[in-house]
Amino acid sequence: MTHPDPRRPRRAQGALETQVLAALHEAGGPVTAGWVRDRLAADLAYTTVMTVLARLLAKHAVTRRREGRSFVWLPTADEAGLAALKMRKVLDGEQDRRAVLARFITALPEGDEQVLRELLDQAGDED
Amino acid sequence: MGIFVFLPLVLPLTAWPIARLAEQRLHPRTATVLLTWVSTVMVLCSTVCLALLMVVGTAQLPGNPLPDGWSDPEVRESVPRHEVAGKAAIPALLAVVTGCGRALLRHLRVRRRAHAALRGLPPTQVAVLPDAQPYAYALPGGARDRIVVSTAMLGCLSSRERRALFAHERSHLLARHHRHLLLVQLAACANPFLRPLRSAVAYTAERWADEEAARAVGSRKAVARAIGTAALVSRPTPVPTLAALAAPGPLPRRVAALLAPAPSGRAWPSLFTTVGLAVWTAAAGAALSAMFSANSAVTLLLLLRAATPL
Repeated sequence: MTHPDPRRPRRAQGALETQVLAALHEAGGPVTAGWVRDRLAADLAYTTVMTVLARLLAKHAVTRRREGRSFVWLPTADEAGLAALKMRKVLDGEQDRRAVLARFITALPEGDEQVLRELLDQAGDED
Repeated sequence: MGIFVFLPLVLPLTAWPIARLAEQRLHPRTATVLLTWVSTVMVLCSTVCLALLMVVGTAQLPGNPLPDGWSDPEVRESVPRHEVAGKAAIPALLAVVTGCGRALLRHLRVRRRAHAALRGLPPTQVAVLPDAQPYAYALPGGARDRIVVSTAMLGCLSSRERRALFAHERSHLLARHHRHLLLVQLAACANPFLRPLRSAVAYTAERWADEEAARAVGSRKAVARAIGTAALVSRPTPVPTLAALAAPGPLPRRVAALLAPAPSGRAWPSLFTTVGLAVWTAAAGAALSAMFSANSAVTLLLLLRAATPL
């Protein structure tokens, strides 16, 4: 099967979420899904916008409230915030993180805290 | 092959002294490279021997798919206590394969998901994420190498300490430390005797990056302060563990090492020091492992060829 429109490459996963979030930020206030769709001007179906909004809602990146017969949407986090939420999920999902990512600092046991403070006092004097 | 087929399974014990001494007595770069090599060689040898034992064990099982000649008494007698060892090798090798497979998949999954989380951000080398929890790490990915750092981490550091942090992470990426970490992780999954080497490499790789950062920033104390400050503002562990009563953990040791004079870059210690002796013991252990496993493999191959009717 070929792509229906060769001029428009397939969107990277998550790119649409970023665009929708950016649109919500530009709005500067609660807006409807229809407004977001018009704003993106990317020839998207209304249901696509709703799906993306629902996905963002599940990630706690947006909130919504009922206004009249439809919902209005508000961003809770921007693009970097969304990335941070996803990254937190990756980090929290991994029990043995040290095995995978070399991290700058690891959890500090209580006994170490005192040792570290004493060492820092030494380091803090001069350079 | 006799008893020699079992030796590579326990020869990793010869690397324990150096795993313990390398942290303090060797330059972190030397220690990381040496320990990674030793554990890679040893794990390959021990896995080969486990596979040889499994062949002998499988050939004894009724209904096995191997040629009948392979259960020949001569083949069986080549392994002491073949009834037990051969059969025990089957689940052991399965455990090795699943353990390593899972570790490898997890490594790839975390990297993929972390890269996916950053998609949508501008493609800069440093990705700053607004998060109240302080973290910073190097995310390898070939051309897409990135440094991920949270705003909480940056917020608690001075500008010099930030430079130290970035130099530290950049050094992880430049030296491809994730490969060392992955190799020792897989080795530890395949042979539990190699676990001390994994913890040692996890520490020496951090130390290596610390030393590089100190060189880049031009101040060992700035790096020490960066590590210490970052560790102190990070979330404390919820329950005090037994480790709190033990020797200081890796973070105080790293800070203490940075406050001490720089380690000498001399490549190899003399044989006539404790650490030199430990290095050569491990090297000899690795060499013997290689010899015994090669010898056992050739012997079994010849035996099986002789036992297989043509």
